[in-house]
Amino acid sequence: MDSPTTNNHNHIHTHHLNGASTISQPSKKPKLLSSSFITPAEIHEEFSHHDPSVARINNGSFGCCPASVIAAQHRSQLHYLRQPDNFYFNELKKGILQSRTIIKDLVNAKHVDEISIVDNATTAAAIVLQHTAWSFHEGTFQKGDVVLMLHYAYGAVKKSMEAYVTRAGGHVIEVPLPFPVASNEEIVREFRKALERGKSEGKRIRLAVIDHVTSMPCVVIPVKELVQICREEGVEKVFIDAAHSIGCVDVDMEEIGADFYTSNLHKWFFCPPSIAFLYTRKIPKGGSELHHPVVSHEYGNGLAVESAWIGTRDYSAQLVVPAALEFVNRFQGGIEGIKKRNHDAVVEMGEMLAQSWGTHLGSPPDMCGSMIMVGLPTSLGIACDDDALGLRVHLREQFGVEVPIYYRPPRDGEVGCVTGYARISHQVYNKVDDYHKFRDAVNQLVNNEI
Amino acid sequence: MDSPTTNNHNHIHTHHLNGASTISQPSKKPKLLSSSFITPAEIHEEFSHHDPSVARINNGSFGCCPASVIAAQHRSQLHYLRQPDNFYFNELKKGILQSRTIIKDLVNAKHVDEISIVDNATTAAAIVLQHTAWSFHEGTFQKGDVVLMLHYAYGAVKKSMEAYVTRAGGHVIEVPLPFPVASNEEIVREFRKALERGKSEGKRIRLAVIDHVTSMPCVVIPVKELVQICREEGVEKVFIDAAHSIGCVDVDMEEIGADFYTSNLHKWFFCPPSIAFLYTRKIPKGGSELHHPVVSHEYGNGLAVESAWIGTRDYSAQLVVPAALEFVNRFQGGIEGIKKRNHDAVVEMGEMLAQSWGTHLGSPPDMCGSMIMVGLPTSLGIACDDDALGLRVHLREQFGVEVPIYYRPPRDGEVGCVTGYARISHQVYNKVDDYHKFRDAVNQLVNNVSKSFKVVL
Repeated sequence: MDSPTTNNHNHIHTHHLNGASTISQPSKKPKLLSSSFITPAEIHEEFSHHDPSVARINNGSFGCCPASVIAAQHRSQLHYLRQPDNFYFNELKKGILQSRTIIKDLVNAKHVDEISIVDNATTAAAIVLQHTAWSFHEGTFQKGDVVLMLHYAYGAVKKSMEAYVTRAGGHVIEVPLPFPVASNEEIVREFRKALERGKSEGKRIRLAVIDHVTSMPCVVIPVKELVQICREEGVEKVFIDAAHSIGCVDVDMEEIGADFYTSNLHKWFFCPPSIAFLYTRKIPKGGSELHHPVVSHEYGNGLAVESAWIGTRDYSAQLVVPAALEFVNRFQGGIEGIKKRNHDAVVEMGEMLAQSWGTHLGSPPDMCGSMIMVGLPTSLGIACDDDALGLRVHLREQFGVEVPIYYRPPRDGEVGCVTGYARISHQVYNKVDDYHKFRDAVNQLVNNEI
Repeated sequence: MDSPTTNNHNHIHTHHLNGASTISQPSKKPKLLSSSFITPAEIHEEFSHHDPSVARINNGSFGCCPASVIAAQHRSQLHYLRQPDNFYFNELKKGILQSRTIIKDLVNAKHVDEISIVDNATTAAAIVLQHTAWSFHEGTFQKGDVVLMLHYAYGAVKKSMEAYVTRAGGHVIEVPLPFPVASNEEIVREFRKALERGKSEGKRIRLAVIDHVTSMPCVVIPVKELVQICREEGVEKVFIDAAHSIGCVDVDMEEIGADFYTSNLHKWFFCPPSIAFLYTRKIPKGGSELHHPVVSHEYGNGLAVESAWIGTRDYSAQLVVPAALEFVNRFQGGIEGIKKRNHDAVVEMGEMLAQSWGTHLGSPPDMCGSMIMVGLPTSLGIACDDDALGLRVHLREQFGVEVPIYYRPPRDGEVGCVTGYARISHQVYNKVDDYHKFRDAVNQLVNNVSKSFKVVL
């Protein structure tokens, strides 16, 4: 984004929140090094396939993919089509292993065996929960044993819980969470209460499913702390549904300490749709294995190997992780730099919007990554989920703004509170104008209401 | 393929087995109509991305995709990336429904609800067999109830049976089949015997899983007849694994009469990887529903709707069925014409090879579609699965021929029989030179006598 900054220099600075500076003074570093980072023009080129008429501030739902990675994917697809047998016998396995190895290093897993590549977090959830269902069926778990999840768990995961856990005889407990939220302590408190409830019925808590970054409303959950509490309280396994996290918040398997952890690389890691990893902490031999539900030749050879062949299909999105990493490393600070600048930018833009609208943020800045919830003016009158969706459609169709809207029901006793929040995101292709466009659209709608 | 034919005309004919004729005489039909079919040059262009150094006679494993359909897929992918939210909310469902509707008409299903689109036949098998597992778990089926499958069932499906049926307490019975095979009656006989075995233990036969076209060895199974026998003998449900069938053999849901039927469109229907349909015959309300194992927002809304959204992913291969149909209809006779010409060509080429090598075909022509099994000379000494794979690798690396090889173990009492078969295929991009290349490679190996190909592994 372009905005002149006030400073003491004589020179004009144009700063991009992506870290690509076009300062007109001679750079202090040798020209070779400083010009090795991606430039604003190059970033623009990489995302020139985005609809230019749309203020695209919903990177959370579907992510993005730069042109150079799309090109790498097309090359991979054509290479397969050229001689598919040779590709299958001589190249596919190596390519998948290379991607898994890169991911292992990115997320600090101990061993590449712990990293399986699957289509998306939804698939990863099915893998973990199908295993839970088998455990109930085979008597490893007893009917009524508990599986815990957050009330703000993603809708698809809730359906998966119904399809695999409830149907198999498990008892699902939801952890209610406050929103807006002011601190990690509020979340920890509710989590502990839910654990007590789970244990109070004399059943085992077999699994806790915890979001790293909830989808709607969007909040970063203190997963490391919750995992520790789970260990203390005898929860058997912890599965972190971190669909958003890689490229958005810090992801460290050793640090977080969960048994299972999944994240999509097509949301915040510039891969094409679709690819996710499912981390499974190594268990002693004889432990019960997870399986991919689409069973093929490699059944029984471990989840990572099973997942690398689930029948003839297009694996190209899983094979271009090297190209995505290459893209990321063109930015100053690599993925860490991108994360930090996205975070700072989305907080800045969120505060700008909240100020313009007279509302507030849904969480403090330290509880958000590259997305933040911004309260919408109450005069918009959002009173149900349909209103939220209607506003989203209206913003898309009438104003060219793409942003998801959340309906937050009033709690008992609340009057005149904010009931609508927008989940804005910032990614390297965003400009400050995107957020101005959104600001002005909402202000116009407010004026229309008056 | 090009081969001069002898005839009484003065003109030179060049016939392509794809039906695109370049007869030099003035055509009897108005020029506009006859030139509306795809030409050999256009076919060549459509498959110019294929490795030209490879005699590609294994269309069965991975299929093929013409350049115009690849282009349609790329356009779809870029369109999604341009504005994915709009695509998701306003375009995806319509596109999937359009593809399902085309498939419904192609396979003569009664209602589009009966057609779900999934990644591949492997996924379809997982859907059906996971349902079977739930039936055992929930007591609908009793432990020890039988699921039947063919001995020549695809390896991945056998694993799926292990993962879902055996693990859940079901008893799996395999139907042994003869190969080489001479008639449908041989298959029917074995099938009936297996049904008797299944019923003799006093258990119900809950499901029969039958291939329409077995993979290795490749034979067209008389599925309509076997489905009827299943109905007569009280088999509860029949699932036809027809991975190869659409575009290769006749596929008619009403005619075949199965409960579940799946086929890949990326093998013989020119779609990019990957897309398959799973047909599920409508059942009365309250019947137990199949579910996609990857559960998302649409869970409970019926398999077709569930399968149309299984999380964020690239659905483009499922959206270009209209482009594939358009490609197919550029050929004389559409998919029917393509099937017939492929069949005639692969039989002709199979007979040419068998004659050159002094061997035989693995099945009569009426038991094959666009693929046929051709016996390999016994002097190649194929004595196990590894030998077969070794020969396949050797043919690929030393001769530029891509063809799967099958090891057929000798039966009791057989001496000096053919133990190796090649599964050759014919698709619109093939030329007669592809098969000559294969013929000559094998003849050269026979002449070499040395078993160097066995070292390759």
